[in-house]
Parts: sequence; C-alpha cells; structure tokens
Amino acid sequence: MRNVLTIAGKELRGFFASPMGWVIMGLFALLFGYFFLAHLDYFVGQSMQAQQGGGPVNVNQFMIRPLLQNVALINLFLLPMITMRAYAEEKRSGTIELLLTSPVTDLQIILGKFLGVLGFYAALLAVTMLYIGILFVFGNPEWKPVLTGYFGLLLMGGCFLSVGLFISSTTKNQVVAGAATFVVFLLLWIISWLGQSAGPAVASLLDYLSIVWHFDDFGKGVIDTKHVIYYLSFITFGLFLTLKSVDTERWRG
Amino acid sequence: MIEVQHLTKRYGPFTAVDDVSFRAEKGEILGLLGPNGAGKTTTMRVLTGYMPATEGSVTVAGYDVFANPIEAKRKVGYLPETPPLYPDMTVREYLTFVAKLKLPASVSKAERVSRVNGVMAKTNITDMAKRHCSKLSKGYKQRVGLAQALIHDPEVLILDEPTAGLDPKQIIEVRDLIRALAGEHTVVLSTHILPEVSQTCQRVVIINRGRVVAVDTPDNLTRQLKGSATLYVQVDAAGDDAAAVLSGITGVRQVSELDRHEQMVGFEVAADTERDIRRDVARVVVDKGWGLLELRPLRLSLEDIFLQLTTDESASAPVQVQATDAAPAVAAHESEQPHA
Repeated sequence: MRNVLTIAGKELRGFFASPMGWVIMGLFALLFGYFFLAHLDYFVGQSMQAQQGGGPVNVNQFMIRPLLQNVALINLFLLPMITMRAYAEEKRSGTIELLLTSPVTDLQIILGKFLGVLGFYAALLAVTMLYIGILFVFGNPEWKPVLTGYFGLLLMGGCFLSVGLFISSTTKNQVVAGAATFVVFLLLWIISWLGQSAGPAVASLLDYLSIVWHFDDFGKGVIDTKHVIYYLSFITFGLFLTLKSVDTERWRG
Repeated sequence: MIEVQHLTKRYGPFTAVDDVSFRAEKGEILGLLGPNGAGKTTTMRVLTGYMPATEGSVTVAGYDVFANPIEAKRKVGYLPETPPLYPDMTVREYLTFVAKLKLPASVSKAERVSRVNGVMAKTNITDMAKRHCSKLSKGYKQRVGLAQALIHDPEVLILDEPTAGLDPKQIIEVRDLIRALAGEHTVVLSTHILPEVSQTCQRVVIINRGRVVAVDTPDNLTRQLKGSATLYVQVDAAGDDAAAVLSGITGVRQVSELDRHEQMVGFEVAADTERDIRRDVARVVVDKGWGLLELRPLRLSLEDIFLQLTTDESASAPVQVQATDAAPAVAAHESEQPHA
C-alpha cells in the first residue's frame, strides 16, 4: 500500500509541478463555469415563468442535475489529456525502467497511477464545487443529491481514467494515446444511440453499456447498487487490461 | 553473486541473446563488452528483472529474478542507458521518491533522508539538490542516475554504458567512482569502449550478436591471444641491409618494413615469446652505427582482440599483430567501433 501511495503521490505531484496540470484545471473550470452560467440563465428564466403561474421549480432538478450531467461532456475532452501521458511518457523517457526494476509489483504501479490520476480528477471536481457553493449561498438547494451527483461523477471519471490508462500503456506516443482515448470515450458514450433503432432488448443492453447512462440516477440523488457495481467492475476491467498490457510489454520487450 | 545460465532472449523471430552464461563474484567489476546491438542491454534488462528471459535462469544475490522478482530487485541497483529521471522533479525530490520505492517500509523517514544525503555526497551532486532534473547537464544526469541506483545500498550494481556521452573529465570521475564502489558492491557494466574495460573491469565478457565469444581478465585476453612478441624498431641512417641484419638476431622470426621517411626506417620485428630480444636489437643497431630512434613492444591491444573476436570467421584464427601502430588507448575514448 505504501508503494501504491508513493507512486500515486508522484503522479499527482507531476500534474502540479508542470504547467499542464494547472492548464487542464483552468480549462475545466472555464468550461464548467460556462455551463454553470448557461444553466443558471435557463433556470432563472424558468423561475420567472413559474412565478407567473405553474408550480415552483426546483434548483436541484432544473439546474444542478443537468449541470453535473454536462461534466460528462467536459470529461470526454479533458480526461484523455490526464491519462495520455501516464504510461506513454514513462516509456518514451525511459523512466518506466526505474519503476519496473524497483521492488514493486506491476499491480502496485498501476493502482498508484490510477489513484494519482483519480486524485487529480477529484481536484478538478473540487474546483467546480465552488460554483455549486454559490447556489448554496444565494439559494437553498438540497445537498444530498449534490453529494450523490459528485460521487457518480467520480465513479464515471474513474471508468474513463482506467480505460485511458490502459490505452496509454499500449503506446509510447502521447498523441496516439490521447486521440485513441478520446475516440474510445466517445464510443462508450454514444453506444446507446444504436439502441433506438434496434429492438428493446438490444436497446436496454446498449444503454447498460453506455457509461453516461448510468450516471442519471446519481444526478437524481439515487445511489443504485446496479450503477455502482457497473462502474466499479468497469474500472476493475480497465485496470486489469492495463496490467495485462504492461505484462505483455515485458515479455515482448 | 550473479549467476547467468544459458540465458536466451528472443523478440519474436529475432534472437537478441543466445545461450549466454557467466558469473560475477562478490565485489568484482565485470565488464560486458560488445558492439552496439550485441545484446548487452537485453542481458542487463533480464538481470534487473525488467524483462523475463525466454530461456535460462538468472540468479542475483541468491534470488532467481524470475521466481522472486521483488527480493531480487531489492538487491539490485540499475542505471539504464538513459538515466531514468523525471524532468519536473528536483534532484532531492527525485531521490526521495526512489528511496521510498526501493527501501523497505521499515526504514524510517530520518534514515531515508540520511540515505538521500549520503548518495548525493557520494556521487558529488549535493550542490544540485534543488535543481530540476531537466536542467541538469548530461554529466550530472548520469550521476543522479548513479545515485538513484545506489540509494538502497544494493549488493549488485548494473550499469548500462555509464560513461556514454560524458566528457573526458567526467568519464574519469565516473570510472573512479565505479572503482570505489567495487568491493562492497558487485558491479556489472556494459560498454563498447575498450579502454574502459581494461581500466575498470577485473573480468570481461565479450558479447557479439547475442553470444559470448570470450570471458577472461583483460590482461589474460591480451596475453592469450598474443602469439609472439613483436617490436617496433625505428632506425636512422641504416644501410639497405638493415632488414637482413635484424633478421640475423637469434630468436627473430620475421622482419618487415613498416614505414620509411628519408633516412628513417621503421621495422616490425616479430620474435619468439620466450626470448626478450630488445637488448640484442639495441646492441646490433648501435654496433652498426645506426641511430636508434625508437624501440618499443607492439602490443596487441584490446581493440585488436575485440575486432578479431567480433569479426566473422576470424574468431578462431590465430591473432596477428596488425601492421599498423597499436593506437594509443585514449584515442578510442569517444569513437565508435567500426562494427557498431
């Protein structure tokens, strides 16, 4: 465990020791801020209409939930940039030789790297909480659905990151890793589109496979074990693939 | 300390290392010598547990690197060809990170700090502690790489071309450091620079195309492959009969003219090894009234042996002293071998 934390700490420090981490964090905050503004605008419009007639509008339902769902979109573009260097850069610069000849197991290295990128992603999410905080200052939203929403975002991001780690472990080239990760993320997202023209059985299967579909309930404030298990098994599978990829690489040299 | 038995490593159809066996005793410096692409790096990577062997076994400090990788890796310090530095870390941060990875969990923080300080002092990089690794010169990078390999005080040090790309002064420093490390550490280093081997190593394993072609001490290799004692004699104002006169000396087998500048003539004089003919040669020259400008043994340098061993077919043929002057060892410091 100590080895895992050592590597996680090194990964995390790597983000903040270079401009890259700060740039990604800034861009993440910028995009989230834009979505925040857009949704706030919409919500204010809805509230105006509600005052002239119709039921009251709920800030959780009309503002926070769609806002958090939009984070999936930001993830799609920015998370590949977090994971693409994780292995590719170590392979290119040769530092992978240090890790693989140190008395640590492959699994410890992979878990360390995963915790490192997850930690950075959590830091990105933490910044967005500032925006949500504004709503708490000026409004009266419920905090529990916000919390489950963030929990869901962390799990969803974890899936993306585990796949990203795997793709990064297959190449020396960061650009290849980043591009491939982006494409895979996108496919994992839009996989459910096909379901609309297929039969209901296929549709529900494809829905089930879509990473983003599973997030819905978290946004509503529901923690369904079905979704938690999906995300956790997805992450495990991604890390397993990474493990196998690193192992194969060793044998091939 | 290190035992390599029938090590074979294949990359797909390509055999990088073919049935290599050698051993290194505790405290010795073993040199892996071979042209680029001979399989030195692959051999070292197997030794360090970076990659598994296709066949054969490697035991380091009593542990099989494949069966007990973690224990074996605790005993090994490895400096790859390019020092594995993280550009964004300072030297101290980097060494602390490596110390955390390589030292067992039982080592206290204070102990870790003193280890980091210790290796920085040993490799002379204390001044650079706060500098980022990306800002270091090649020589300092190499030293930080060496410090990294030493941090857990390993019994075995594996250094892949430790002096590559350094300037002559740095090369001497690194060599001195390596020599100082031997004794308490067993060192395996690879190189394609021959003088390095004769200056630092106690034993040499010459590898070519993945196979071991010779294992011995540098001195033995030189002696063993030398068929006869050969002298270079340069005389001044000699008559045309000079070659014949030299041939007349007892024990001389062959005399051939190497160079001639006006009055000065240089001869290569081959003689039986049992007899030291230098006195005789000098006396004859003086008796004849010629000027003796130069008289020195033409040694078969490690270079010649290396070329002989690593050039096809000629490996088993008797080694002849090259007609050309045995190049001073320093000249080959930075130059690549023609076979590289």
